Amino acid sequence: MSDNDKSDASGKHPETGEKRLREELPEEVAATPAQASEAQALDAGAPVAGEETERSLTGRQRLGKGLWPPRVTRAQLIVALLLFGLGFGLAVQVASTSDNDGALRGARQEDLVRILDELDDRTQRLEDEKQGLEDQRTELENSSDQAEEARKQTVEKERQLGILAGTVAAQGPGITLTIKDTKGTVEADMLLDAIQELRAAGAEAIQVNGVRVVAGTFLADEDGGGVSVDGNKIDTPYRFKVIGKPQDLEPALNIPGGVVQTLEKEQATVTVERADKIIVDALRAAKQPDYARSSSQ
Amino acid sequence: MIAVLGLVVGVVAGLLVRPEVPAVVEPYLPIAVVAALDAVFGGLRAMLDGIFDDKVFVVSFLSNVVVAALIVFLGDKLGVGAQLSTGVVVVLGIRIFSNAAAIRRHVFRA
Repeated sequence: MSDNDKSDASGKHPETGEKRLREELPEEVAATPAQASEAQALDAGAPVAGEETERSLTGRQRLGKGLWPPRVTRAQLIVALLLFGLGFGLAVQVASTSDNDGALRGARQEDLVRILDELDDRTQRLEDEKQGLEDQRTELENSSDQAEEARKQTVEKERQLGILAGTVAAQGPGITLTIKDTKGTVEADMLLDAIQELRAAGAEAIQVNGVRVVAGTFLADEDGGGVSVDGNKIDTPYRFKVIGKPQDLEPALNIPGGVVQTLEKEQATVTVERADKIIVDALRAAKQPDYARSSSQ
Repeated sequence: MIAVLGLVVGVVAGLLVRPEVPAVVEPYLPIAVVAALDAVFGGLRAMLDGIFDDKVFVVSFLSNVVVAALIVFLGDKLGVGAQLSTGVVVVLGIRIFSNAAAIRRHVFRA
């Protein structure tokens, strides 16, 4: 049957190269056995050629066949189940990796330990830096505090020295000593004694009739009576305003043989009054020394 | 077709549900996914070759996943987990590429 078909076909289409080859082959060999061998060759060759084309085509064909008409078979269902699991795991993994903490979530234990160590180191470094900066800040604050304190002390000292030097006004408790020289017998040295006595008793600021008494004050007798203090002539009554401890100053003047008794012997009237508030407001100009300079710089 | 639908449904479900991965499974999931991908590519190639067998596919799929997870587990216990995971991924990647090449020859004849 097949032999007849093939020969018929070859007879009908001799222009096909393959068929012509097959037709030519038997002619070269012997006739009778050639029929059988040709038939065998044809039988073997035809299926081989057919299978070749079928196999190369079926790659796609099988894919299309498997894809389009959806058949519910056991194999399809099982594969679908497994692929469902695969897709599920894939999606879950992708989702968890793309989370915010995905970098740490997927990391292994040693990596996590290393990251933790690095963070600890970093924290330590930052702590050190913070400590250093805080120390620096404290130091700066202290130094500015010290500068402020020194400035305050300087101002205070200047004020105290100003009181002693007579360049600033002063007020405080003290006494008022009034000497009325009715007979004109009071001389400069008596007043100087009074000033010395007051100083010895702790007087801190003294003024006589509007003239401030300081370390360099000098007293002199004037020709026409009266006394000059630092070249300023003053007249009786001599009014001393003294700042100091009244309980010390008054007894110092009143001691037997002291200033008051000496002056009263000269017919002068002496009154001593305590006061809670004495104002010494006579000033002296601060004088810059010509040659002496401070050596504390 | 049903199989492709299964894959798509799985991806969608995973994206929608977003379950918390248990901490025990967490290190093994990525490797298991790669192993399963390898099995799927192998199955696709077998289908194109015409020698696909569902029983073989199921067994290879499951054994791939289990062996991959086991290797990672063992590596973690031995202290070479990172290196072993890398090795597994490399091997599976090579297999996936060769399977993909076979599939490509079938589909595109090139």
